[in-house]
Amino acid sequence: MTRVFLHGFGQRYDLPGPLFLYLFAAAGVVVLSFVVVVLFAGDELGAKAVDYPRRRVAWLDGLAAARWPRTAGGVVGVLGLAAVVSTGLFGSQKPFYNPAEYLVWVYFWAALVILGGLLGNLWALFNPWTALAGWLRLPAERKPNRLARFGLWPAVVTYFLFACLELASGVANRPAVIGWLALAYTAFTLGGMAWAGRRAWLEQVECFAVLFGIIARFAPLETEADRRGRVLVHLRIWGTGLLRGEKAGWDQVVFVVLMLSSLAFDGLLATPVYRWWLLSFGGLFGVFGLLGPLGIPALRTVGLATLTAVFLGAFVLVMRFVMWCGWPQVGSPFGRWKGVDAPRALSAFAFTLVPIALVYNAAHNYTYVVVQSQGLIPLLADPFQKGWHLLPTAGYKVSFLLAGAAVVWYVQIVLIVLGHVIAVYLAHLRAGERFKNAAHVLLSQYPMLLLMVLYTMTSLWILAQPITKEA
Amino acid sequence: MTRNRVLLLAAVLAIFFGVGAYLIFQGVGGGGQAVSIDLTVSGHSMAPTNPGAVSNDYPPSTVVVKQGDRVTMTIRADQPEEVHLHGYDIAFAVPGVNGKVTHTFTADKTGSFPMEIEETSTPLGQFVVTP
Repeated sequence: MTRVFLHGFGQRYDLPGPLFLYLFAAAGVVVLSFVVVVLFAGDELGAKAVDYPRRRVAWLDGLAAARWPRTAGGVVGVLGLAAVVSTGLFGSQKPFYNPAEYLVWVYFWAALVILGGLLGNLWALFNPWTALAGWLRLPAERKPNRLARFGLWPAVVTYFLFACLELASGVANRPAVIGWLALAYTAFTLGGMAWAGRRAWLEQVECFAVLFGIIARFAPLETEADRRGRVLVHLRIWGTGLLRGEKAGWDQVVFVVLMLSSLAFDGLLATPVYRWWLLSFGGLFGVFGLLGPLGIPALRTVGLATLTAVFLGAFVLVMRFVMWCGWPQVGSPFGRWKGVDAPRALSAFAFTLVPIALVYNAAHNYTYVVVQSQGLIPLLADPFQKGWHLLPTAGYKVSFLLAGAAVVWYVQIVLIVLGHVIAVYLAHLRAGERFKNAAHVLLSQYPMLLLMVLYTMTSLWILAQPITKEA
Repeated sequence: MTRNRVLLLAAVLAIFFGVGAYLIFQGVGGGGQAVSIDLTVSGHSMAPTNPGAVSNDYPPSTVVVKQGDRVTMTIRADQPEEVHLHGYDIAFAVPGVNGKVTHTFTADKTGSFPMEIEETSTPLGQFVVTP
C-alpha cells in the first residue's frame, strides 16, 4: 500500500472543476486564441515585432547594484539550506511534522517558482550555493570553460533527476532522504564550482539556476548593464522578456520541453489516466513487477521520459508546419530544412510555450501553496519535535480561507486563460520577427495555435479530473 | 491603432472572466441542511448504509455534501479501528467488534477529503464538500 504524495509530499484536497467550467474555459481558450491572432496578425515585421515596450525604474538601480541585498538573500538561502539538512536528518521522520519537507516542496519548489514568475529572479538572490561559493572564494570563471562543449545538457540531466526524485522515486516524503540529498547536492555543486568556475556551473549544470533564469524571463523586472557597467532596471509586461534573443540549441529546447512535461506529469499522477497507465503497462512489461519495490519508481521514470519524448515530438512536428507556412523556402514540412538553422528556429518558438507551463504550475499548486504552506507555522515552535517551545505557534490551525473550491476554480481558469493568451501573443510576435510578410505570419500561427490550444486543454482537463488514490 | 486593439482584447477578456465568475458563483450556496450519513467498514472497503446520501460514481465510495451542511456521520466497523477523515481531522475510533461511532460537524471547508483506516493507511473513500 503506497500513498500518493503529490509534488513530492503533501495531501491534496482540491475539488476537481465541474464539467461545465471545463467546457466554458476550453471554448474561451479557442475563441480568445483567434481573437488575438486576428487582431494582431502581421502587425509588425522584423526586429520591430519583438521590440517590446518597457519603462525605466531608476529608483531600483541602487538596489540592483548594491551588495547588501545579495548578502542578505545569501544568508537567508544558506540558513534555509542548513534548516533543511538539520531538520531533515535530525527531526521527526513523519513528513507532516518535518520542516524540511515544507521548505523544499512547498516554499522552494512551489511558492518560489510562482513568485519568480510574478516578480523576478529570486533564486539568483537566495541561491545558497552561490553564497557559499562566494564566501569560499571559489573561482568565478575558468578559462577556457571546461564545460563549453556540453551546453545546457548537464542541467537537463540534473533537472530530470530532480523531477524523478519528486515524482517517481516515492522517497521525496522521507525527511532524512531530503536532508542527505541536500547535503550531497551541496557537495556536488560546490565541488563543481571549484572545478569549472561558479559562472559556468550556474549557467550549465545547476538546474535550479537555469530553471529560475528561464522563469525570470517571464517576470516583469529586467536588469541590464549600460556601457559604463551601471546596472539599469526596467519594468516590462509579463512574458515579453521571453522574446529576447538568447542562446539557441537543442539543449535549450529540451530543457523547456522538460519543464512542460514534468509539470504535466505531476498533474497526471493524480488522475485516473495514471491508474490506467499503471494497470496496463505495469503488467505488460512484467519487468516492472520483477523489480519489486523499485517497480513503481522505474515505471514512473519511464512514464516521465515517455511524456517528455511525446511533448518534444509534438513540438518538433508542429514546428515543421510552422516553418513550412511561415518560410515556404524550407521545402516540404517533412524534408530537410533548407537555409534555416533548425535549433535556432526551434529555440525561438520553444520559449513562447513557457507562459503556459508557468500558469499551469500556478493553477495546479495554488491550493497547495495557500494551504499546505501554513503547516510549517506550528512546526516553528518545535522544529525537531523534541518538545521545545521556541515560538507560541504550536496551536496554529491551518486556514482554508483562500482555498474555497469556487475561488480556486476561478483563480485557475483566470490564470490558465491569461497565460494562454500571453503565449499566443508571444508566438505571434516571434513569427512577425522571423517571417517575411504578414500573410505568412498569419498562416504560420495556425499550427502553433493548435499546439498551444492542445496543451492548455490538457492542463484544464487535468484540473477537472477526479483525484484518485493509488491502491 | 494598436491601443484600440489592446483595449478590444482587454474587453473580450473582461467579458470572459465576468461570465466565468457568474457561472462559478451562481451555483454556490444552498448548504445548511442537516445530513446524516451511515457508513459501514468491512475489511478494506466502506459501503453506505443509507445509499441515498452517497454516490458511487467512481470507486472508492464518495460521499457528497454541500458546504455548510450539518453532517452527522456514523461509522460502523467489523473490528475495532480508527477511521480518519483528513482535512477535517476527525478520528472515528470504532470501539469494538461491530461497534459504531458518530460525530457531528459542520462541513465548512470545500474540497475532496480522503477517509482512511489510520493504522494501515487503507483508503476507504472520499468525503466531498462542494461549494
